[in-house]
Amino acid sequence: MKHEQNHTTPMRYGMAIDLDKCTGCGACMTACMAENNVPFKEDESDKLVSITWMRIFELNNGKAFPDTDICYLPRPCQHCEGHGGHSPCVSVCPATATDYSQETGIVSQIYTRCFGCRYCMGACPYHARYFNWWDPVWPDGMEKYLSPNVSVRMRGVVEKCSFCFHRYQLAKNQVYLDGERKVPEADYQTACTQACPAGAIVFGDLNNPEHQVHQIVKPDSENGNKSRNPRAFRLLERLGTNTKVYYLSNREWVRRAGDNYLAHEKTGQVSKPHH
Amino acid sequence: MDTALIPKGVKRCPMWQFLLGLGIVGAVLLWGVYAMLLCWFKGLNQTNMNDYYGFALWIWADLAVIALGGGAFFSGLLRYIIGKDELKHIINYAVLIGFICYSSALLILAIDIGQPLRGWFIFWHANVHSMLTEVAFCLSCYFAVLTIEYIPLILENRQLDKVPFFHNLSHNMHEIMAVFAATGAFLSFFHQGSLGGVAGVLFGRPFAFREGLLIWPWTFFLFTWSAAAYGPCFTLLITWITEKVTRKKLVKDNVIELLAKISGWMIFTYTIAKICDTTRWANITAPGLGQNLADFYTGNAFYGYWILFAEIVLGGVVPAIILISAGLRKHPTWRVVAFFLGVMGVSLNRWVMVLQVMAVPILPFDTWALYYPSWQEVATTLLPVAYGIILIMISYRYLPIFPQEAELNPIEEETSTAVEAHTKSAPDLEPAKA
Amino acid sequence: MKVDRRSFLSFVIGGAAGTALSPLPWKLMDDSSIWSQMWPWTPVPPDGEVVYEDSTCTLCPGGCGISVRKVDHRAVKIEGKKGHPVNDGGICILGLSGLQLLYGPTRIKSPMKRIGERGQGKWQKISWDEAMAILTEKLSDIRNKGEAHTVAAIAGTEGGTVPALLQRFMTAYGSPNFIRTPSHQDADELAVKTLFGASGRTGFDLENADYILSFGSGIVDGWGSPVRMFRASSLWKEKNVTVVQVEPRLSNSAAKATRWIPVNPGTEADLALGIAAVMIAQNMVDPGAVAGAGGWENQLLANYGTKKVSQVTGVDAGVILELAKGFAKANRPLALCGRGKGLVAESLRETAAVYALNALTGNINQEGGMWAIPEADYIRWPDVASDELASAGLAQPRLDGAGTGRYAGARHLLNRLADAVNGGGPYPLQALLVAGANPCYDLPDTRSVRMALERIPFIVSFSSFNDETAAMADLLLPDHVYLERYGDVPVGAGLAQQVIGLSKPVVSPQFNTRHLGETLIVAARTMGGATADAFPWDNYETCLEETLAEKWDALIEEGIWVEADIAPVADTVRLAVTDAPAVQAEGDVNSFPLLLIPYDSIRLSSGYIGDPPFMIKTVSGTVVKGKDGFIEINPQTASATGLSEGSVATLTTPRGEARVRVHLFEGIQPGVVAMARGLGHTAYDGYLAGKGVNVNELIGPVEDPSSGHDAAWGIRAKLAKA
Ligand SMILES: Nc1nc2c(c(=O)[nH]1)N[C@H]1C(S)=C(S)[C@@H](COP(=O)(O)OP(=O)(O)OC[C@H]3O[C@@H](n4cnc5c(=O)[nH]c(N)nc54)[C@H](O)[C@@H]3O)O[C@H]1N2
Ligand SMILES: Nc1nc2c(c(=O)[nH]1)N[C@H]1C(S)=C(S)[C@@H](COP(=O)(O)OP(=O)(O)OC[C@H]3O[C@@H](n4cnc5c(=O)[nH]c(N)nc54)[C@H](O)[C@@H]3O)O[C@H]1N2
Ligand code: SF4
Ligand code: SF4
Ligand code: SF4
Ligand code: SF4
Ligand code: SF4
Repeated sequence: MKHEQNHTTPMRYGMAIDLDKCTGCGACMTACMAENNVPFKEDESDKLVSITWMRIFELNNGKAFPDTDICYLPRPCQHCEGHGGHSPCVSVCPATATDYSQETGIVSQIYTRCFGCRYCMGACPYHARYFNWWDPVWPDGMEKYLSPNVSVRMRGVVEKCSFCFHRYQLAKNQVYLDGERKVPEADYQTACTQACPAGAIVFGDLNNPEHQVHQIVKPDSENGNKSRNPRAFRLLERLGTNTKVYYLSNREWVRRAGDNYLAHEKTGQVSKPHH
Repeated sequence: MDTALIPKGVKRCPMWQFLLGLGIVGAVLLWGVYAMLLCWFKGLNQTNMNDYYGFALWIWADLAVIALGGGAFFSGLLRYIIGKDELKHIINYAVLIGFICYSSALLILAIDIGQPLRGWFIFWHANVHSMLTEVAFCLSCYFAVLTIEYIPLILENRQLDKVPFFHNLSHNMHEIMAVFAATGAFLSFFHQGSLGGVAGVLFGRPFAFREGLLIWPWTFFLFTWSAAAYGPCFTLLITWITEKVTRKKLVKDNVIELLAKISGWMIFTYTIAKICDTTRWANITAPGLGQNLADFYTGNAFYGYWILFAEIVLGGVVPAIILISAGLRKHPTWRVVAFFLGVMGVSLNRWVMVLQVMAVPILPFDTWALYYPSWQEVATTLLPVAYGIILIMISYRYLPIFPQEAELNPIEEETSTAVEAHTKSAPDLEPAKA
Repeated sequence: MKVDRRSFLSFVIGGAAGTALSPLPWKLMDDSSIWSQMWPWTPVPPDGEVVYEDSTCTLCPGGCGISVRKVDHRAVKIEGKKGHPVNDGGICILGLSGLQLLYGPTRIKSPMKRIGERGQGKWQKISWDEAMAILTEKLSDIRNKGEAHTVAAIAGTEGGTVPALLQRFMTAYGSPNFIRTPSHQDADELAVKTLFGASGRTGFDLENADYILSFGSGIVDGWGSPVRMFRASSLWKEKNVTVVQVEPRLSNSAAKATRWIPVNPGTEADLALGIAAVMIAQNMVDPGAVAGAGGWENQLLANYGTKKVSQVTGVDAGVILELAKGFAKANRPLALCGRGKGLVAESLRETAAVYALNALTGNINQEGGMWAIPEADYIRWPDVASDELASAGLAQPRLDGAGTGRYAGARHLLNRLADAVNGGGPYPLQALLVAGANPCYDLPDTRSVRMALERIPFIVSFSSFNDETAAMADLLLPDHVYLERYGDVPVGAGLAQQVIGLSKPVVSPQFNTRHLGETLIVAARTMGGATADAFPWDNYETCLEETLAEKWDALIEEGIWVEADIAPVADTVRLAVTDAPAVQAEGDVNSFPLLLIPYDSIRLSSGYIGDPPFMIKTVSGTVVKGKDGFIEINPQTASATGLSEGSVATLTTPRGEARVRVHLFEGIQPGVVAMARGLGHTAYDGYLAGKGVNVNELIGPVEDPSSGHDAAWGIRAKLAKA
């Protein structure tokens, strides 16, 4: 086996989520909880203290019956790149417990490093970060299903979607054993992508023209990675968070709901990164 | 009973009264300690904070207390660096209040973090990009400075001073106090600023985000300026309260008025800067991010335009005018009204920069999140207040905090020995010398 | 002692350095980080060898293939099986939560007998031998008295060997009372029999259709085989297939559709017939598949004029014309029915109307069309040789009346059981066996169902879980859960193919439970005589292997057996004039001005399986908050009652009353309120019990005049500020 240190393009893992396909079924949320040892409590109806790395928002077009329309928007961590890896949360963490990987574009969260100051939560405009307000407790016997691939988080630390980073590590190990250089598209897929019964989520390397996600998004690196696909938009794009989760919809009201617009601004036209 | 410990030439209330007072405040303290232990042992689920309110009452208290404690560094700066010599008559109290504020701030932080045992990670795994890292370093260093500034005052206790080692230690510390004052002012400039930066750098939150200079958002400078402006207000307000409680005049009016005037001009300039900042933010920054002022002040049950008015006009323009105009400033009632409004104004500013930041929806399809603190949060927030009162009570009773007290309150019924004692004790009451 | 500046500085610096150089602070710091991540109550999942084991999910009728990841012999994750003809790698929220059922606190961990009062929850663990002795002695007693017919069995489904064994047990024992849980399947079977003149079920070639007209079917809310439906929905998006959803409420399915047609609740059949009338009037029908339609057509033209239909349904006349044209002109149009997940049977009038629409387009047994196919018939056991006691019992009428008289069209009428037991039946029940069903929660008018169960002296539950019916039982004989056992899973659920999946034990049984098939074989053998003779197998596995015969090897190998080429039961639809009236909602308009309709959500399991913790966690805060359940209501209706978002109200129907909270929703017709199914459990565990309201407590059964099936689609209601 020969392993060369190659200077290949860094990867930028990301997602394209088709909101016209998404049914709001919640399989992605649950797949994530099952994959990542996400704890639960007896009462999870207060969504402000309910850990869901993948959360589904319900959007509506604000119109009265019978012109009402709703749309579900699944929200994993957006793995913001910001400006050169200064994602909103990474730059604020005082203990370097969360980091932007220049190799994969994944924003990590190191639970054993986090001391629970929650500054990152305040910084994340997507509310993608969750605090362990309680000790994680599984009913007797249920801890049997916990996966050893993802560490169980202790009380008092922040957690969030990792793009199922452990799956990347497993795939990378396999690639290494096989003497390959790059992780094939199919070998690293997140648990939510895999589970989605509607096939609404496409995951892969945004930098790799062979990956489906690149072909859908067609990111414009000259223009802050804005998508060239007219159906696509990112959440709060104009804040300059430079996220790697793209959303697709044919409906203008949905695309417009992705960002804050002044009344006179046209959908998609003002999404120039702010700084 | 404890007369031997009480500074010479001054009178203190009887012991029973002192203990009763301690007991009452101590009960509040114990309640706070109980709540603190609950938070440590059961976790932050004891609070009403949530994933939208990662920062809440405590962080507000923290920021407010640090802003109000700014009287210490700014008075020190005026006294030791700028050379406003009259301020030596109030600097002890400013340092004590500063010490209380900063120790409280650190205690609050220790309760606020989810993993208190890992608190030191902030130093060990420091991330230089984080404003909190800057806060942590400067805050701890400045607390050390305040401790160093406070120690000689303790050593001036009548009994401790008799020990030659302490006497000399205190003397030596006094000699280098200007160095510490300068260091303190420098450190304060940064941590006050980085506390402002904490909110200002949040480019994901248009309500908080500000452009700025180099790596610092405008809030960095505004926070430093406001702490310098309002800190003395707080020192003066506490001094006034202390005078009311002890029913004694403790600091001469010329000292009070000097500090009040400086504070007034500082508040005036700060308020102008704040108005400029608000105008720019409301007209350029926020609309550039797709949001209008109305998005921040309407559509919820609490945060209305009133808060903007209360902060800038009631807490800024009004006290500035009162303190700048000689006539109003010399009027005791107007002066105290200004102190009060100033303290309210800066506290409200910190509230807005912590709590309202968390409340405003950012995602267009999200809603306002309002929050009210749990009793545990209230108790742990009152804990430092109680602790501060106790520390002031003890310090006032046993330490020569107010150099002018004996002069302003001669002990009339005493005989000639008392007069002798008075003259003899005068040097003891001299404040720290540069 | 004189301290000069130098000694002062040495003192300070020396002290600091001394402390720092001692091991103490470093040791304490290091320890603190270890303590803080190694609290003994934070579990550390053991690592081990990773293997994947394939099986079939049985948590709903969907029949998805699953692949279970195991580490160190523990099942850690359920994933969809790639390449499986039903779900091809996809999986639903319930399937994903399966391990919480396997390892969860709601399992019944051993056979138990009741020691306290009924429903008090006091149980004593007993051995399987003792449990079987109690069961067989009791049953033998009843049988020996010649009263075998006074024993009934309720099963969740009829498909597969296990329900077949239960049915066989009842036959050999001598009771006609094997009753299946109601569902849209009842209506479907009846409609196929009526229209095609043969027994069978429908199958829909959804993937090849190019225009979908759904009368309330929860295409992405759990109808049919849910994962297949999700996939079809996305496929339609890709192919720009028009999907029209007819429904009073903007369900997720309506939101996914190309077009949502709000319709007055309960008037779906009128709209279907109105569309058919337009097609006939405008000569847009393909007469190939229709026989004897003349009279029917005339009746339609006379009674379902567009204007009248528009009035009844609330759908614009223009829209009706558009729908008729769009549907008729499409190349491969397909109409669907069965509200929501299809948990309730619809009236024959409604089902037949929708199937007639399909027939009028000529899509019967065509690509992209509706198929009428036979049920899988691989279970070919010899007939039971009844002894005298059995024959006597079997000669008695069924307690629910199904199959005779005015209920001749129905095979199972569980909705009539409560009435029968509460005094309306031909004889009292002495014993009830319940398997894979939870009638105390699932049936309409749950209160009267509970009252009925209280009258039955001996109730046996084979449930794996602490469900509401198990809580009413006298004897618990817990079954394995699907991940611990073998089982054949014939998939109906709207598939146009014949598919059989195999469930395999992925882990060994976690508790002292026993396969229901095994329990039945042992029980029959213990009973002896003719009953024993009907069960010649050594054990369940032998029975399964012998039954599946040549399919067994393929199933063990592939996990699935598919027969794509199946002969339809018939090719012609016979349309006949009927005079069946529409099924009305119970209650009078004056005292109950509103309509309450239940709705289905894929995030709420609404059958025998209760929502596991993962699922209930995904339920929105506007559906359940704390203990409170919500109703959806149009803001217009709400403000008329003085209600605003989140306010507490009392919802009253002719059957009951509940405290609810209000969620304002523009996607629901004014005058209608909707409540989610699947909440308001009183049993299971703390993660599920006590949350929200069980809508079945507020709705009573309404009999379809053509069959006796419960065809209730809602009930009249009133709302008052609490
Ligand atoms: N106090 C104490 N310290 C310990 C130990 C102990 O028992 N006690 N154990 C020691 C041992 S044995 C080990 S292996 C380590 C493990 O300690 P760490 O590695 O520090 O912590 P883990 O939770 O194991 O790390 C998993 C997390 O790392 C993040 N992560 C994964 N990949 C990356 C990446 O590429 N970049 C970044 N920045 N983050 C990534 C992911 O978010 C993942 O959730 O701790 C060591 N330190
Ligand atoms: N939830 C969760 N699980 C994890 C991890 C996580 O972060 N979170 N991290 C994973 C990682 S990276 C690691 S390395 C493992 C660590 O997991 P383990 O390897 O299980 O590590 P320890 O818990 O330190 O246990 C080591 C055991 O060895 C014993 N021991 C100590 N010294 C000696 C000795 O000299 N001889 C012998 N024979 N025994 C000795 C100790 O008493 C202890 O029982 O945990 C893994 N599992
Ligand atoms: S699993 Fe897919 S369809 Fe379901 S909510 Fe998630 S993204 Fe949407
Ligand atoms: S979505 Fe939030 S948590 Fe994720 S990278 Fe962006 S700022 Fe950080
Ligand atoms: S909570 Fe943890 S991850 Fe977030 S900023 Fe603080 S230390 Fe960093
Ligand atoms: S990518 Fe992985 S961690 Fe992130 S939401 Fe999906 S399943 Fe969860
Ligand atoms: S759809 Fe039904 S069969 Fe398929 S995974 Fe979900 S519960 Fe299981």
